[in-house]
Amino acid sequence: MKPIPALLPEAVELEPRDTNEWLPEFTPSADILELAVPQHVTGPGYYGLPMLKRPTWGWQIALYFFFEGISSASYLIASLATLFGEGRFREVSRAGHYVSFGALVPCAPLLIADLGAPKRFHHMLRVFKPSSPMNLGAWSLLGFSLPVTLQAAEMLTEEIEPPRWLARIAARLPDRLAAVFGIPFAIIMAGYPGVLLSMTSTPIWTRSRFLGALLACESIKNGAAATDMAIALTRENRAAVYEHDKLDSIRTLAAAGEAALLGAYVITTGQAARPLTKGSQAWTFWLGAIGAGIVAPAIIGMSGIGERKRKRGLRDLFTKHSRRMNLAAKLASSALSLAGGLALKWAITHGGQESALDDDATRIASRATESNPGWNPA
Amino acid sequence: MIEELLSPFERPEPPAQHAAMGFFTDTTVCIGCKACEVACKQWNQLPADGFHWTGNSYDNTIALSDTTWRHVAFVEQFDGGADQPGRWLMMSDVCKHCAAAPCQEACPTGSLIYNEFGDVYIQQDICNGCGYCIAACPFGVIARSAVDGHAHKCTLCYDRQKDGLEPACAKACPTDSIQFGPLEELREKARQRVARLHESGRTDAYLYGAEPAGEYSALNAFFLLTDHPSVYNLPEAPRRPKAHLRTNLLLSIGAALGLAAGSALLFARGD
Repeated sequence: MKPIPALLPEAVELEPRDTNEWLPEFTPSADILELAVPQHVTGPGYYGLPMLKRPTWGWQIALYFFFEGISSASYLIASLATLFGEGRFREVSRAGHYVSFGALVPCAPLLIADLGAPKRFHHMLRVFKPSSPMNLGAWSLLGFSLPVTLQAAEMLTEEIEPPRWLARIAARLPDRLAAVFGIPFAIIMAGYPGVLLSMTSTPIWTRSRFLGALLACESIKNGAAATDMAIALTRENRAAVYEHDKLDSIRTLAAAGEAALLGAYVITTGQAARPLTKGSQAWTFWLGAIGAGIVAPAIIGMSGIGERKRKRGLRDLFTKHSRRMNLAAKLASSALSLAGGLALKWAITHGGQESALDDDATRIASRATESNPGWNPA
Repeated sequence: MIEELLSPFERPEPPAQHAAMGFFTDTTVCIGCKACEVACKQWNQLPADGFHWTGNSYDNTIALSDTTWRHVAFVEQFDGGADQPGRWLMMSDVCKHCAAAPCQEACPTGSLIYNEFGDVYIQQDICNGCGYCIAACPFGVIARSAVDGHAHKCTLCYDRQKDGLEPACAKACPTDSIQFGPLEELREKARQRVARLHESGRTDAYLYGAEPAGEYSALNAFFLLTDHPSVYNLPEAPRRPKAHLRTNLLLSIGAALGLAAGSALLFARGD
């Protein structure tokens, strides 16, 4: 570029602008621009260009789904322990309510950070529209945060000497009522993320009807694992880990459900599941969600390490492990489950990016069927 | 500040309902002049997208976006062999203004509404940029602006319609490929056009979106096409995401309830 003659003292030399560099500031369709190259001309579609727009949801939403799942599930487990345990599982209720509160804290900031106009988060509560899963989720999050906070505060009042006025209020609050009030919210919170994703046009999310159920099971697995970990990590409660294996059983039950639904989800999604099975999320999916989340904890469980001593059995011959070893096994399988849970939510959320830009997948997903014939040349 | 927080909760009286208005885009008379693109950009004060040569025929606009609300697609079909005359397909694409729009069904803030002309409209003072409509649209129409963070798409020139004017693209179209009017009238006109084309031997002409099909509603901006929809980058049979909501929701709540019941049993059994 020729320097501009210095007619004015403040005249500066202009750098030639690279359109590719400044375009993204103007339009989010930059990724579509990138795909618009003549090599694609001979495809069955329109120059190989994507039919859909990329979802705007990234790491914030993946992390939000992870945390809100833990929060709702550990609340659910803690409340059920209170309601049905007849006082036998105090440490489950206690740890569960703390975990639930702790996991709830990052939820709203993550959701706000994801918005295009973060100052307008409260617009979500402008209408009550449960037919929009996102609106349902926003209302549930609001309704859920009240019992979670109350329960965590009540647990706290039992531990520290609260100011007398606070103790008086806490004593008046029936904890069973709070538990019952929060359970419906917890059930919705555990189940809605997958439903939210499936009410879109992104092939990887919409082809299967099992996505909601899959993420619900996965959330409950995470909640049980996080609560178990919290108990095992608290010194004074550690003994309780060996008194019963309720949380282990819940986690195993949820993981079994998750494994079955994951299979159903991948099969029914078919070719559109490619980002998970072969594409950009393959490592996260196979190593993280399946390897760490399902297979590894199952192996640890089957090995018998970390299991509480059952009444006497053959297995006792092989499981004379030290207490420390048992604790390590317990922590490892909980941590692996959690890591797998995060990996699954991460892979499914981010898989939508690749899926929406895959014009083949979109074309196959919107093919005419008998019940949905669409509009075609005669 | 407080006013700013509360104003979205106000519910002003909606304007009186008007007859449903829409677009009929007849691709057989489109000459690919892009006057609609220019008129749309000019009237709606949309910024330029830069100069970018794609090499895809004359289509350098590429796709609809937050700053492009009309997009002319160019299809060159010249590979049928020496005895086959080649042909050009040109189509001015736009928001379909679906009669039951997935974007409107997904919108969690109520920003996406049907205005008094029966068209799908994003209220810019409400939209908080959650991005649900972008993922919901089966046609890839909506995009979020990196400048203001809100979702944008064709308004069917709501402001012009309020003043009794036709949308800028329809006004500018020199061949009347883009026609604007009351939907019933437009549909009738479109059917007659297809019949006339069939009579003259162009039996490949058909209407895309004039009637509901399967789970998907009719489109208030419908098209006359002469090839398979995917040739124009349109879905053959768009799915209505909400049609599957109940099953998905029931299954997910069922799974959570089942595991809750299992947990309750475990806790009740004691030890």
